[in-house]
Amino acid sequence: MNLSNFQTEFDKMINRDYFSDKVHPMRQEAFSKFLEFGLPTKKWEDWRFTNLSSISKGEFRLSEIQDSPKGNIDISQYDMNDLETIVIYNGHYQEAMSSIPNGVQLLSGSDFLEKTNWEFNSPETSPFDLLNTAFMDSGMSIVVDQNVEVKKPIRMLFISSGLESLMVTPRFHIDLGESSSFTFVEHHVGESTSFFQNESVFITLGQNAQLDHIRIQSNSPSTVNMANLHVKQERNSTYSFFQYADGGKLGRLNIHVDLEGEGADCSLNGLALSNDHQHIDNHIITDHLVPHCTSSQNFKTVLQDKSSGVFNGRTIVRKDAQKTDSSQSNKNLLLSENALMNSNPQLEIYADDVKCAHGSSTGALNQDALFYLRSRGLDILSAKALMVRGFATELLDRVNHESIREFITQRFDQWLTENTTSDNSLSR
Amino acid sequence: MLKIKNLHAGVDGKEILKGLNLSIKAGEMHAIMGRNGSGKSTLANVITGRESYNVSKGDVLFNNESILDWSPEARSLAGIFMSFQYPIVIPGVNNTYFLKAALNAKRKHTGEKALDAAGFLKLIKEKLNEVDMDPKYLQRAVNEGFSGGEKKRNEILQMLTLEPKLAILDETDSGLDIDALKIVADGVNNFRNADRSFLVITHYQRLLKYIEPDFVHVLIDGQIVKSGGKELALELDEKGYGWLES
Repeated sequence: MNLSNFQTEFDKMINRDYFSDKVHPMRQEAFSKFLEFGLPTKKWEDWRFTNLSSISKGEFRLSEIQDSPKGNIDISQYDMNDLETIVIYNGHYQEAMSSIPNGVQLLSGSDFLEKTNWEFNSPETSPFDLLNTAFMDSGMSIVVDQNVEVKKPIRMLFISSGLESLMVTPRFHIDLGESSSFTFVEHHVGESTSFFQNESVFITLGQNAQLDHIRIQSNSPSTVNMANLHVKQERNSTYSFFQYADGGKLGRLNIHVDLEGEGADCSLNGLALSNDHQHIDNHIITDHLVPHCTSSQNFKTVLQDKSSGVFNGRTIVRKDAQKTDSSQSNKNLLLSENALMNSNPQLEIYADDVKCAHGSSTGALNQDALFYLRSRGLDILSAKALMVRGFATELLDRVNHESIREFITQRFDQWLTENTTSDNSLSR
Repeated sequence: MLKIKNLHAGVDGKEILKGLNLSIKAGEMHAIMGRNGSGKSTLANVITGRESYNVSKGDVLFNNESILDWSPEARSLAGIFMSFQYPIVIPGVNNTYFLKAALNAKRKHTGEKALDAAGFLKLIKEKLNEVDMDPKYLQRAVNEGFSGGEKKRNEILQMLTLEPKLAILDETDSGLDIDALKIVADGVNNFRNADRSFLVITHYQRLLKYIEPDFVHVLIDGQIVKSGGKELALELDEKGYGWLES
């Protein structure tokens, strides 16, 4: 999609009468900044290993009301027990199919802005955040007051569907009040043949607040899924993030966490499975701004066929952030000779009394271990599957909520069944 | 049960076994002794089918069938087992899960019904007792955080569970203190019967005090240069290997 296509769609966007014109100036400003940047190329440091031609060559149009479902659609294949689901279909909120959770306020984009007096948060250095501000069209914000323990997890189910090339731009906020807690699930699915989703999420955690954020990215093999996550944590808050990604043609996850209050804890985790020509990219920044915070990054990738992946993790420890305790780990398993992984864990430390660890490893299945399992009678497929499962177990086990964990584990096992081959040319 | 004929084999293009002959009948306990590098572990790896080892000449027959083209799992299911010299750590793979999967693969092969969790637990508790292992090891990942002795006991536990026809014990005595050695030896001795055969690979006579072999073979430079009864082990302990070298 070249810049003039974006311009055409933007003009349509500005003329939509069902969006508040109060945000038009912000859209305009963000869009002109985006045009100055243009789409990132491989010459940009943060985009060196990620090819965006599926966006630049695509011709996406805005999702219109007629792209919403004609009647109720069957979402039973995405069923998980014990949670509330908010359905967003091609960018359109489906109230009739959604269950509104107790104890939280569910707000549309403009309602949320109304509540915050139209104070606007738009990161200006990232082209996809700017693009999101310019085109934001969907998503429901969740606000939780102080001292509320939301018992049931809340899931936003994003379904992309149809034969048209659509561009959908979800933007939502999650504001968790002091000493409140809940589990939030983003679930991205759908069978659309061509889809570009560019999502920006803003999360703020009050003192002692606790958020468990699980992101399941199982888009169709032709989808581009951009996610820009911005998290701000106050004192003693806990943010725990886990992404399970097995879908999409191109998936890029940008996370930026600011640890702004002492004693905050942030744990960012990801398990990505890729095959065919998929590309899954994780760009993760944890910024320690104050003392006594803890953080961890733990990302793993399993790559089959000609798929590729990127891990770029940065942990920044500012001058004042003494007694920081942080760790960073990236491990990748190559199931094919043609798969490619770029791993770049980085530490930037400006304080002198801190504990920071980082490490990265990429390799094929260990041949000695494979022989060991086979020598006990396990056939090569079962032995390989067992090892890949073992590789992923620590991350799958992190999902506390049982039905969510079971759902993800089932998907994982299915992927394993479809992607384990008896070919054993890789050796280490 | 096992017949090895003029076996030439090696790894990375280097020939290590240079015409080895050996015949093991049902119920027999054979010991192979030799220095480091004489080819003891190569022999074990070739019998069990490790892919990095190449056979250039000769044959290995198990119950009168050549097994050289068989996969490691096919050999295991046919009843060949090796207790590894260096048992492998497999991160994230639960020991119970692994043992149960291995046993059920075997049971499937022999047409028996798969054991469910309760049935397996009952069986494994008995076997744990035999090698004096704490059940907590079952909850860990395979060999993860196990001491040298615990790893070797875990190997014997696997042997007792899978009930092979031919068990190869590759330096099972190394890394064991005297108490653990006795426990492992008891496990093996109780497991001996008229239908089972053993091939014990060792440097030292130490293990053979507790596990009495019917035959002792001396391996030097890829060939068996001398065979005898258990008294040969004592002689080797006294005189070393020098007197047998040409």
